[in-house]
Amino acid sequence: MENRFQHIFLIRALFASLCLLAVIAPRAHAQALTSSKIDSEFLEIGFNAGIVTIEDFPTEFAWGLNATFRATEDFFLQVNYMQAADVALSSREKAQGAYYTGSNRDFTQYDFLLGANIFQGEFFSGQPQARLSSLYVVAGVGEVSFGEGKHFAITAGLGYRIAFNRRYVFTLDVRDYIYQASLTSGDDERTVNNIYLSTGLSYLF
Amino acid sequence: MPTSLVQAAESAAESLLSLEVIDSFVEVRTGPGRGYPVFYVIEQGERVDVLTRRTDWYEVKSESGKVGWATSAQLSRTLQASGEPADLPTVSFGDYQKNNWRVGFAAGEFSNGELEGSDTFSATASYRFFSWGSLEGEWGKVFSSGTAGDFYSLNVLLEPFSRWRFSPELIVGRGKLSLGEQPNLTALGGSDSSFTNYGLGLNYYLGRNFVIRGEYLRYSVSTDNDKVNLDSWKIGFNTFF
Repeated sequence: MENRFQHIFLIRALFASLCLLAVIAPRAHAQALTSSKIDSEFLEIGFNAGIVTIEDFPTEFAWGLNATFRATEDFFLQVNYMQAADVALSSREKAQGAYYTGSNRDFTQYDFLLGANIFQGEFFSGQPQARLSSLYVVAGVGEVSFGEGKHFAITAGLGYRIAFNRRYVFTLDVRDYIYQASLTSGDDERTVNNIYLSTGLSYLF
Repeated sequence: MPTSLVQAAESAAESLLSLEVIDSFVEVRTGPGRGYPVFYVIEQGERVDVLTRRTDWYEVKSESGKVGWATSAQLSRTLQASGEPADLPTVSFGDYQKNNWRVGFAAGEFSNGELEGSDTFSATASYRFFSWGSLEGEWGKVFSSGTAGDFYSLNVLLEPFSRWRFSPELIVGRGKLSLGEQPNLTALGGSDSSFTNYGLGLNYYLGRNFVIRGEYLRYSVSTDNDKVNLDSWKIGFNTFF
């Protein structure tokens, strides 16, 4: 009987220490490479400007801001805000008078995007030093406010980035904001495409 | 961890992290990606200083002064000054995420109830207090018949098997939903309603800092007169740091 108790106690003690090892041991070592003394560069803040072609309306100057979280070497997440203020009259409005006034004439947009670096490499600009570069695609969801109402919009785009130096990155982007709208009166809802061509500068923190 | 090791780690923290290579060699690339060329090789037994981290890559400086990028996988097989491994490949996602912030977004659709067919997206930020549990704040939009509504909620995420690459998650939360005035919605339109949401998610860890989450949620919305149930599915992309 005593033997059996000892046996049970031994097994329990062994099991407990194994559990303890399994729980404690990996965690004790795990944080070394993630320790705060290593500068972790994952956030980029950027400004961009360009032109946006608004379907049925004239092409306008636009500007935007974004924040990019670098998740892996292949993928990144990006949040964007873009606006074109006081969009000029469409051809139909020129004949019939403006359908929208005031802030309803501002094209504003924000979105959340998933990006994938598809071709990464080095760019040589004549100097011996190579600059890191990448061609990427983005896709995501967001909201467009223009005319009356707010619209669920899908964003799809293609971009190219070149790092000027360690911190500053130059970007070229073409993005399509796709949503359902009846912007010119009398029309049923249909899919409209709004293409934003921009150049930008980002700072990597 | 014994006190001497803690002290050793603390004193090392004041300068750069210096590691000894125990692999036969470490490849050093010009940039933080597998597409960049290898221009230098650090040999076994040499020490490297770790300067910067970008995603799964670390910028290292060799004893001879060469600076370049090495993978976290290769650096995990190095030793700290204290003789401990710098990292362990067996340490898995949940441990790695503990005490980390996570941000991301999700997009999806309401699949039944009064909002059936409505598109939705949301942005989330969460903090993981335990390897198995975190607290998440969510802000989102619903688009139905031409008008947009907002919702926000506070969720508890329980992920018991967070070491797995595919890892299920239980989501429970409370929040508020406000939809604009619209003719089609009788019970929900026009005012703020509070809701309880619960559901199941499935995480897929792609690398150590990126997770794709699919989720199915039921919102139990309290209105003036009764309760309305709404179901939604979403797919989300998150990164943690």
